[in-house]
Amino acid sequence: MIAVLRSELHRTLTIPSSWLSMGLAVVMGMSFALFSVEFWSLFVALGVFGIAVVITSQHYQHRTAVLLFLGQPRRLLALAAQCVCAILLGLVVAVVSGVTTIISREFEQFTGTLAATPLLAVFGVASATVIRRPVALFIAYGTWFVFAEGLAFRFKQPLPFTTFMSAAGGNPKGLLFFSGYAVAALVAAAWFIRRDLADQ
Amino acid sequence: MIEAKGLTKRYGRTHAAHDVTFTAAPGRVTGFLGLNGSGKTTTLRMLLGLTRPTSGEALIEGRRYRDLQDPLRQVGAVLEQGLMHPGQTGRGHLRTQALLCGAGRERGEELLEYVGLADAAGQRTGDYSLGMRQRLAVATALLGEPSILVLDEPANGLDPSGMAWLRGLLRAHADAGGTVLISSHLLSELELLIDDVVIIAGGQVRLNAPLAAVAGDQAGHLRVRGRDPNALWQAFEQAGAEVTTDGEVLFVTGIGPEDAGEIALHAGIAIYELTAEQPSLEQTFLDLAGAA
Repeated sequence: MIAVLRSELHRTLTIPSSWLSMGLAVVMGMSFALFSVEFWSLFVALGVFGIAVVITSQHYQHRTAVLLFLGQPRRLLALAAQCVCAILLGLVVAVVSGVTTIISREFEQFTGTLAATPLLAVFGVASATVIRRPVALFIAYGTWFVFAEGLAFRFKQPLPFTTFMSAAGGNPKGLLFFSGYAVAALVAAAWFIRRDLADQ
Repeated sequence: MIEAKGLTKRYGRTHAAHDVTFTAAPGRVTGFLGLNGSGKTTTLRMLLGLTRPTSGEALIEGRRYRDLQDPLRQVGAVLEQGLMHPGQTGRGHLRTQALLCGAGRERGEELLEYVGLADAAGQRTGDYSLGMRQRLAVATALLGEPSILVLDEPANGLDPSGMAWLRGLLRAHADAGGTVLISSHLLSELELLIDDVVIIAGGQVRLNAPLAAVAGDQAGHLRVRGRDPNALWQAFEQAGAEVTTDGEVLFVTGIGPEDAGEIALHAGIAIYELTAEQPSLEQTFLDLAGAA
């Protein structure tokens, strides 16, 4: 698994679009931290989730998942390595973008978001493993977020993205609920990663 | 050694591959021939653990691909005309794959030189031509110095010198005791390279034999043109040959070229053309594939 992790980190860090998405997440987080630490948490959470989705779905989009699974045919180990890779990169993004939060002494918010970061990364990797096309995934999740959790339940119920935002803000209850969703997504991913890789 | 044992893949009611059985032996180059949609790629994917067979099993050195201890050290694969992220450089791609299979940085550099991409190693692979991507894919397959090579249409996009280079590489690999399984629709190219041939059509293996045996099994014919075709026809038939024609040329079976020449001389008929023709692998392939 270490070999897969090193390979995944190298791949991600030698692709310009990965740097672009990580840089964007850092800049957004830092910028919004000037207005409110809650905004920082929200944008870091979205950034970490987005990065995890992008680095995972790139494999399916550009068919390099074939190379990954040839190198590590035990796909659960490949999935685990992808999760660790996304967690490490997510933590780096959260810490770098959180510098302004630390300077403004919002330690509780900072540590709360940092604690949620691994879950957000795992949720992103697992989601992109189940829905391999990033555009379809973002549209599906966005639609659910706006219409189901926002309009129908007014962000009052412990649904995935409501708890996602709550967890990102360091809320222990939100963190607990979101852990459940992250685990559920991971279980689904462990099943779906077995699927055949379709032809081009 | 690669063994496909009764490999079957079904999608709903469609059989992409049905009871596919063959062996690719060490020290030999095995050609895997099939038209598009014949089940060729599906079979290779099942061999490499990328597609789960509905039934049957695929073994490499007696084990399923997923059970290999260090798969990239044992099997190198070239699939889908070069798999790489277009934003990554050729060198970056090889390094990523080298980390995956435990090869050193110098091995990547050595292979870049070997496949002729050293000067283009810093370019993004998205800017590579198809031929360059194929060369990089071959380098990727060779990273772990595997004894088994599985290549799906590796000659696509290669220019004639690239194809000659690939032929030399695969021949040398087999001569050194390695196993090579190569699929291609460029049949004339395969004919120059392979030792054994497996022809698949309609998801089923139609032929599995050494190439020499395939050539030996197929009766050849003579192609004859002369001054008086009718008289020639009669002379050949009187000598026990079977004769057909397309209107211009006589196709003669049952006698050798020496006999044909002597018969024509004896009949006093000038010969303009006398050629012994053997059916090519391509003809055999088309006959079998067409029968599916």
